[in-house]
Amino acid sequence: MRKTLTGFLSAVLAVGLGTLSLKAEPLAYPHKVVTLVTHSSPGGGSDVFLRELSKYLGKYIGATFIVENVQGGSGAKAVARVAAAPADGSVFYATTPTYIYTSLLSKPSATYKDLEPLVNLFADSEVIYTRADGPFNTLQDVIDKAKKERGRWGAANPASLERQAAEQLKRAAGVNAAIVTHEGGGDMMLNVMNGTLDIGIGEIQELRSQLAAGKIRLLATFNPERIPEKPEVPTVKESGFNVSLVKFRGLAGPKGLPDNVTKVWDEAIKNVLADPEYKARYTEEVLVPNYIPHAQYQAFITNFADTTEAFLKETGAVK
Amino acid sequence: MTTFWDILHLLTATPLVPVAILGLTWGILGGALPGISASITMALVLPFTYTMDPAMAIALLACVYIGAEYGGSIPAILIRTPGTNSSAATVIDGYELNRQGRAGEALGISLMSGVVGSLFGLAMLALLTEPLSWLALAFKPTSYFALGILGLSVIASMGGDSLLKGLASAVVGLMIATVGTDPISGVTRFTFDVADLLSGVEPVVVMVGLFALTELMSQSGSTSVTQLGGSIRIRLPGWAMMRKLRRSQAIGCFLGLFEGLTPGGGGSVAAFMSYNEARRWSKTPEQFGKGSEEGIAAPEAANNTVASTALIPLLSFGIPSSNSTAVLLGGLLMHGLLPGPRLFEQNPQVIDSLYVGSLIAIIAQIGVGVLILPACIWLVNRPRPYRAGFILALILSGLFTLNNSPFDLGLALALGLMGYLMRLARFPVLPMILGVVLGHMVESSYRRSLVLSGGDFHIFIEDPIAVGLLGAALFFIVFSLAREYRDARRTQLQETHS
Repeated sequence: MRKTLTGFLSAVLAVGLGTLSLKAEPLAYPHKVVTLVTHSSPGGGSDVFLRELSKYLGKYIGATFIVENVQGGSGAKAVARVAAAPADGSVFYATTPTYIYTSLLSKPSATYKDLEPLVNLFADSEVIYTRADGPFNTLQDVIDKAKKERGRWGAANPASLERQAAEQLKRAAGVNAAIVTHEGGGDMMLNVMNGTLDIGIGEIQELRSQLAAGKIRLLATFNPERIPEKPEVPTVKESGFNVSLVKFRGLAGPKGLPDNVTKVWDEAIKNVLADPEYKARYTEEVLVPNYIPHAQYQAFITNFADTTEAFLKETGAVK
Repeated sequence: MTTFWDILHLLTATPLVPVAILGLTWGILGGALPGISASITMALVLPFTYTMDPAMAIALLACVYIGAEYGGSIPAILIRTPGTNSSAATVIDGYELNRQGRAGEALGISLMSGVVGSLFGLAMLALLTEPLSWLALAFKPTSYFALGILGLSVIASMGGDSLLKGLASAVVGLMIATVGTDPISGVTRFTFDVADLLSGVEPVVVMVGLFALTELMSQSGSTSVTQLGGSIRIRLPGWAMMRKLRRSQAIGCFLGLFEGLTPGGGGSVAAFMSYNEARRWSKTPEQFGKGSEEGIAAPEAANNTVASTALIPLLSFGIPSSNSTAVLLGGLLMHGLLPGPRLFEQNPQVIDSLYVGSLIAIIAQIGVGVLILPACIWLVNRPRPYRAGFILALILSGLFTLNNSPFDLGLALALGLMGYLMRLARFPVLPMILGVVLGHMVESSYRRSLVLSGGDFHIFIEDPIAVGLLGAALFFIVFSLAREYRDARRTQLQETHS
């Protein structure tokens, strides 16, 4: 019931918005309806990403976009759903590092290897933050404390890129820190704000309200380059520790996508990222555009997965 | 500053009144359907809000939440199925009253206690958001662990005829809570390569299995053709009854306030704890479990309070403390609203319509309840074969919508069978449910605390909140054991004398 209802409504919405913007010529597409699958619940990260994207995609691709929430199994069920779908460009999955982690840690029936990466759109900004009235002003302060006594660092989820980032930073700096995992960024933010943790590592989106209120301070970002909207925040690399991460956000489909489909998407995603209205929206959410076309996306994902697997093996999380 | 004219404008020039009433009605219906939790009910209306005015959209979602928290008690009382996780405690005495043919009275009590809880919660939200938000910050991982232990200490007095059986049942519940992804290391435990088990067993599956399916099995097994009978009239509690319920409602409101502030629970912990506290402080504790009015009033006041106070950490920090508030957060973000202190300054109209809309919904709850409840009572008073078939179909379809997974259905049926066997062997099921509800919080915060301290147990006595809560838990356990011992001796003495 939930699926059909939300699907129907987003279809109506997409049609409505599509007719509003007839002046741009959308690219011809072999399917009238395209289903975008996410493992996140309605209102969650990937869900909001897809719904926002589908509002603007209609201008560039001649199809109607429906968002389908396939929850459960930390993404395993959504991946299985897409892997089993026909590889004709009618069904896609919203990728995030989660699907790599779940594939590696939980060994589900269908893994990231059963999907074909289509195109990447964004990189979420991963940052290190502390409470504004706390004792730390730079990342070096945090490292110094961890050298003298014992650091207390937070990561949002146990099997996540943030945890990996924390472990890598700890090694790069050669310090002793407890890495405390949480069940979501909100839970962790409370522990940073009440002083239980020295720092938290999380996505900048989740911190926006506290940043605006001046309650927390950004110390560094794990992005390879500084965040365009926060030019004063240095990267971890610039702070002297050779760790950088790309928390990608893109699309993947079943294996064997036809060329005419991937070409349309390459073109359309490039254009939608340049769309002024969409740009205003995603800039506000501090999403950094990171366009990777189909030809290079496979190699990017494989590389990401290999690095992650090597790391997980090293820490003993997988054998 | 909000003036009288702003409020008048909201009531007359915007569709706030119909939005609030529609939201509430939808929430009650969604909450009343087993398996459709408050968060799913809210998520279902989320797409409708895309094109709405942000202030109306947020008020709508908040009213759905209020309705859903109340609606969960309807099937809890009528068919022994908690509609939402947080109405599980209402099952105990609510269904008992229903069996005595007093369904109308039980529903009236839950309706009015819900209204009391909602009004209290809304008052706290509107007046004390700022100071209360700092209370949320005071809770550290050690405090959550202690809170969970305090919740589990309830088991000591829930065991029914045998403490040992109660503990055994609780341990099974705690074991079920360990299934899924390890909260600290992220490795999977007891999942047997089943993708459906990766995120663990949802408490609602356990509750529906152990309460509702067990009851259906028992009913099918009995040969008597008793008709529940009784009037389908809904009876709101009078002043005398409200006075009697005052204490239990106050307990519910107080515990609901705290649970709303703290991330994780979403109302079920407060509901169970207030049930137990209401019994502890009651003048007639022996009535609990046999159809006590207070046993409905306390948990219902608690979970309805949570529906408002859970918005405090959401609005002041942008932190959703439950799945339902996470949906509300999604709604805020979709409309480009960023929760936090600045929301109050930059978008006062959103806050105003949220408060006023909630108030309208709470008042309308009485009217909507009185209108739809007789139909619900009539429905469950049909001849037993029809009723049993209807309930089974309702429960199974509701469970299926949780994850669109047939696995959950099999799991619930297996748990139902287990509950039936437990009933035959006189094992209480409540401790098991409590174990499932609290196990995850106890385990993850215990281990998180020890990671923080590097394995040093002193961390638990360095946190004053944890010390207080653990002390209270210890006191309650000793108190319950002492009472049990005394009662046992008294019956023994009576037996020898007679």
